[in-house]
Amino acid sequence: MSTETRKKPAYAHLFWWFMFANGGGLAALVLPVHILVQGVLGPLQIVPVVDQHFDTWVSVLGNPLVKLYVLALIALSFFHFAHRLRYLLVDFGLHAAKSVPAQVIFYGGAVAVTLVTVWVLLTTAPISLG
Amino acid sequence: MPSGWWLRKRHYFLYVVREFTALPMALWLLWLLFDIKSAGAGPSGFQPPRSTAFVVFSVVCLAFATYHSYTFLKLAGVIIHVKVLDRPVPPRAIVFTMFGLWALASVVIGAVLIGFAR
Repeated sequence: MSTETRKKPAYAHLFWWFMFANGGGLAALVLPVHILVQGVLGPLQIVPVVDQHFDTWVSVLGNPLVKLYVLALIALSFFHFAHRLRYLLVDFGLHAAKSVPAQVIFYGGAVAVTLVTVWVLLTTAPISLG
Repeated sequence: MPSGWWLRKRHYFLYVVREFTALPMALWLLWLLFDIKSAGAGPSGFQPPRSTAFVVFSVVCLAFATYHSYTFLKLAGVIIHVKVLDRPVPPRAIVFTMFGLWALASVVIGAVLIGFAR
């Protein structure tokens, strides 16, 4: 195959797969413990948890590393979810889920959640290194 | 494809469950975002999450999230190809490492969430 006719690397495809794989991996590694501790053990008051008290929750959320971590967790996970749910609809026979408008809705939704997360993290607890 | 195809074989059903895990996990993360936003209400307006409905919702999401972790990390042996000293690492070792990372991450994050509480 000559250089002129060689296909360009599918950078867009590569990007979505990167987001899909890393979002799935990060969610797989850390989400169950968040749900267990913050969603079950904390609310049942079996153990003390940071988000059960205003001062400890704001203090933890003020840490820039925590903000970055939460942003990565939510943003990457939502790109993963968008990809999975879109193809699940295709598997159920909804071929319109392959279309460009469907891609805009699903991945645009992930972008929207990412932007909302950035806004929430920047406006909720002031950044503090202490 | 005929409707109800995913109910015909256990393997198909589990595949659909695996893909569906995205929805409850997304809902729980949206709740986490809401929980973070609630910290902006100030000490008087802050309501810690303690309702029974929320615990039930979390237990359901936990089941789906754990299934996602199990299936996703198990696939790592097929997807990830690594060489150490010019020799390919066996898929079983990669899967074992991923499950070890899952355990380590769970301990570290659990320790932070509990250790920084009062």
